[in-house]
Amino acid sequence: MTKNPYQPVNGEIVDIIDESSTIKTFVVVPEEDFKFETGQFVELTLPGEGEAPFTPSSSPADSEKMEITIMEAGRVTALLHRCSKGQKVGIRGPFGSGYPIDDFVGKQIYIVGGGVGLAPIRSLFLTLVDRIKDFKSVVCRFGAKTPDDFIYKNTLFGPWQKIKGVDIKLTVDEANGDWDGNVGVVTTILAPDDVNIKNAVAVVCGPPIMMKFATLKLLEFGFPAENIYLSMEKNMSCGIGKCGHCMLGKYYVCKDGPVFTYEQIKDYPDIWD
Amino acid sequence: METVFISKLKPFLDAVAGQMELYVPKKAGEHYVYNRYDPSAETPVEFNSIRTCMPIKEFLFPLRELAAIFPGAAEPEEVEPFAVFGLKDCDLRSIEILDKVFADEEFRDPFYVARRENMFIISSDCSEPGESCFCNLFDGRPFARNGFDLNVSKVKDGFIIEAGSQKGKDFIEKHAGLFAEAGEALLAERDENRAGTQNQLEQNNAELRFDAPIKEIVENNRDSDVFDVEAQNCVECQACTRVCPTCHCFYLYDTTQKDYFAKMKMWDSCMRVGYAAVAGGANPYKILGDRIRHRLLHKFVYFLDRYGIDMCVGCGRCVDADAGGMDIRVVLKKLSEETKGKGRKKAKLAK
Repeated sequence: MTKNPYQPVNGEIVDIIDESSTIKTFVVVPEEDFKFETGQFVELTLPGEGEAPFTPSSSPADSEKMEITIMEAGRVTALLHRCSKGQKVGIRGPFGSGYPIDDFVGKQIYIVGGGVGLAPIRSLFLTLVDRIKDFKSVVCRFGAKTPDDFIYKNTLFGPWQKIKGVDIKLTVDEANGDWDGNVGVVTTILAPDDVNIKNAVAVVCGPPIMMKFATLKLLEFGFPAENIYLSMEKNMSCGIGKCGHCMLGKYYVCKDGPVFTYEQIKDYPDIWD
Repeated sequence: METVFISKLKPFLDAVAGQMELYVPKKAGEHYVYNRYDPSAETPVEFNSIRTCMPIKEFLFPLRELAAIFPGAAEPEEVEPFAVFGLKDCDLRSIEILDKVFADEEFRDPFYVARRENMFIISSDCSEPGESCFCNLFDGRPFARNGFDLNVSKVKDGFIIEAGSQKGKDFIEKHAGLFAEAGEALLAERDENRAGTQNQLEQNNAELRFDAPIKEIVENNRDSDVFDVEAQNCVECQACTRVCPTCHCFYLYDTTQKDYFAKMKMWDSCMRVGYAAVAGGANPYKILGDRIRHRLLHKFVYFLDRYGIDMCVGCGRCVDADAGGMDIRVVLKKLSEETKGKGRKKAKLAK
């Protein structure tokens, strides 16, 4: 019997962490072994209600549980935000291809992220930090609307910044409270000498408009299109390259992505829409 | 014996129906639809001159089906062997296209595969091309070449039946008593009929000739105004994607049943405004012209790039079904007349 790719694995939400006014992290324990690679995504089902795609924000090394950071944006995410601990869920996947970590060895990794885009980046970050000696350095430039809108505040504002080999700069669109950091969109904290472009790869994840302008900035700095990795957001549904909703040119974002190099997709129309 | 002769259809269809459920074409208005074969019916089965109105995908990939249950596990129901009579070359090629999507090695759709493996395909020659038929543009023929178990060709005094698979050969062997030999004269008559229909098809579409491959025509003119202009004739009824034998987009949705939750799979259409919209609000095909463009790019560029085959068989069903008056042949023709890079008017109003 062929395995049914539409059938989710049963799981349970064991904890819910408030990240910001619109974002929560759900700690999910699948009933069966569920391995994924950083950057791959899963389809999370709220039984009877609906299903939506998310990239886990936890490290793949944690095989016991999976953390999924979700912004309230549509019908399914709104329902998820109203769930409590103990809620049964379904998980399908993992789908697609993630970040090619082994190709990053020996290089500087320049990570540009914004808003809830830090969710997939957290998984990548934790994976990189686990073997930080394999990389030249990890340079992060993150943005959020306001200081309160940053997710993972407890680690982002403190412990992560102290990791050897990691360089983090943050910016907000609008300052409030005692924020004494940069104010401006994320591209205002990108500088050509942040990394040595000849031996670096860039990873961009965030809202489409931010990804567009960050990518243009990186190209302006001289980053080759094939060294810019983008985590694309489309309406992934089946996860297995059949249902059609997430097409990006000849690619199915669910199967061929969600991580693409800019080189792969730059010639297709409307990639940022 | 791989090619045989029979003077009447009924004994042949009765033999098929004796082994499995059989579906046959029936005239409904000016079109053909499929009905379950009833051996006791008084009206004889019609030999359909062209493909049926609704696409063959309905047999393999129904409008709506159960995909998963929760908690628990959904498996495809046991599918009994079934036969379909009257598929045309365009239908066979549409199955080839669907196979690429649903029966691929990496992720097989178990529901599709279960039906596909149990479908006994009895194709037949077209006896007269329809007004909307343009399969010759995609190397199609008014007669089947491969992909069938049995093929039926009408000749003056009866029917020639040819086996195209082991299952087909076994059938002929098992029912050898029904058939006579198909001699050279009969085969020559069949070839002549085929050549005649082919000739008529080409004459019908004589004006539909392009200087460049269709892929290039569509790809190089993706910024053309034509998509927005055509959008004015489109009423977004989605009939084109419903009747298309190769369109296969679907969506998954969850429902609550009495004592379990179900995940359902249902046909979708890229003509629908929310088709590609994400929860955050982004939508790459917000205006209708974008969706028409995407549909053509998918059919003639992206699918070809990915699978090495066009996602159109020229069956003309979308032409027949269209409520607004958009004709894919005319769109292709207009695009081919466009000069490269004319610059599409970005009339993206609400964008």
